[in-house]
Amino acid sequence: MKNKNWVNLFIAVLLYIPVGFLQVHIDYRRKLEDLEARLMLMPGQVAGSLVLSGFRGVAADLLWLNIEELWHQGHTYKLLPMFESVAWLQPRYITVWAVGGWHMAYNIYASTQDQKEKKYWYEQGAAFLKKGIAYNPEQYDLYFELGWTYYNKGEDFANAVKYLEKAVKFPCPDYVKSLLAHAYENNDQVDKAVEQWTRVLNTGFESVAKRALKVIREEGAFTPTRRRRLGMGMED
Amino acid sequence: MGKMWVIATNTFREALRKKTLYILLVVALVAIGTSRFFSFLAAQDELKMIKDVSFATIEFFGAILAIFTAMGGVSGEIEKKTIYTLLAKPITRKNFIIGKFLGQSMVILLNAILISLFFIGLLISKKAVPDMEIYKSLLLIYIELLMIGAISLAVATFATDAFNIILSFFLFITGNLSVYFKQVIERTENIIFKGLGYMLYNIIPNYENFNIRDQVVVGVNVSWQYVGQTILYGVMYIVIAVLVGIYFFQKREV
Repeated sequence: MKNKNWVNLFIAVLLYIPVGFLQVHIDYRRKLEDLEARLMLMPGQVAGSLVLSGFRGVAADLLWLNIEELWHQGHTYKLLPMFESVAWLQPRYITVWAVGGWHMAYNIYASTQDQKEKKYWYEQGAAFLKKGIAYNPEQYDLYFELGWTYYNKGEDFANAVKYLEKAVKFPCPDYVKSLLAHAYENNDQVDKAVEQWTRVLNTGFESVAKRALKVIREEGAFTPTRRRRLGMGMED
Repeated sequence: MGKMWVIATNTFREALRKKTLYILLVVALVAIGTSRFFSFLAAQDELKMIKDVSFATIEFFGAILAIFTAMGGVSGEIEKKTIYTLLAKPITRKNFIIGKFLGQSMVILLNAILISLFFIGLLISKKAVPDMEIYKSLLLIYIELLMIGAISLAVATFATDAFNIILSFFLFITGNLSVYFKQVIERTENIIFKGLGYMLYNIIPNYENFNIRDQVVVGVNVSWQYVGQTILYGVMYIVIAVLVGIYFFQKREV
């Protein structure tokens, strides 16, 4: 009986070998499918992780509630580390990147009169969105947000085209495709704009595309040169 | 199998008679219910919060239930001296441990199903029909809870209740921090510490394997291959824990 009992322990120890191999496979798949939690070796973060254990999602939610509160109280700058923290806890949570980038490039940008500072926050917003793209490269959302920021806030149409072209490679709403056509026009790429508007004809933006194509044929595209000639800014 | 089944059903009935299951169930349902208070947020954010809070609640309260059911299953029988009657019958110690494990698995399953139904109902009430990823995450949480229960049962065969609680929760925390531990090992230059570190990494139950909820709540899909491998890992770990439990219970003087 005593000898037989050793068999139980022996099998248990022996089973650790396939468990070890399986763990290697699981680690590989976690990396492959981007399931790994991102923990950096900073003292505060390690302590935080210890307390949070497996409940990072709930921690991210509590921080998000703080963001909401600070937002309504008008604490523009206090929000920044909160965005970073939520993004660190749940880097696949697209909203935090999108809202964080927009907050820097639009809200903080508008809160200052200093042109240098404006430029700084516009760049910070774009950089935050790019960081978000690095974590979420397989979805249109952040490419669109960055493309829109370049298009609308920076009037940097070359970069807007670059990121909107990436956005439309993934399943996305029709307005993204339509914005790309606008960006082509503003970037002086009229042929590409016509091609893109033709593609937009098959979407919910059909009437907009028809009108745009008609204007391009009859009056010319809204290139920067034509806009200047017509005395039109971006808000037109 | 018949004898094991008798032990299993008795363990299940005994757990239903105790108040622990119901108290944990009510607290868990209240915790999930409070996530409805986030209705001031955008619909998408509110749904994310409901999912985060619900997954965390199912796991945390499930873990408490698993540990206490496993612990009470062995020490309770010894304290009440009912174990003498049981072992005097033609029931082997092996049957007793496996039966106890099956019984506690049913209790954990019942608890997980009831809380999950409430969670799914909450999602449906928000017009968000749960997709397959939600069920994958729930399945992995259930296997994780079985693993926690099996380890606690194994510890209960040779240690006191106090030690069991401390060790089980310690393993729960360290098992969820395995990614951090692995990063430390990867940066260690000393080859001996590196080797020991990897050995420890493989011995400590890796509960982080079962954590796909952080990704699922933000819409990331997880392959069935990963889910399958993780279930296999859990099952193998459960077998190890039950075998260790049998070994120590055979040696124990009752």
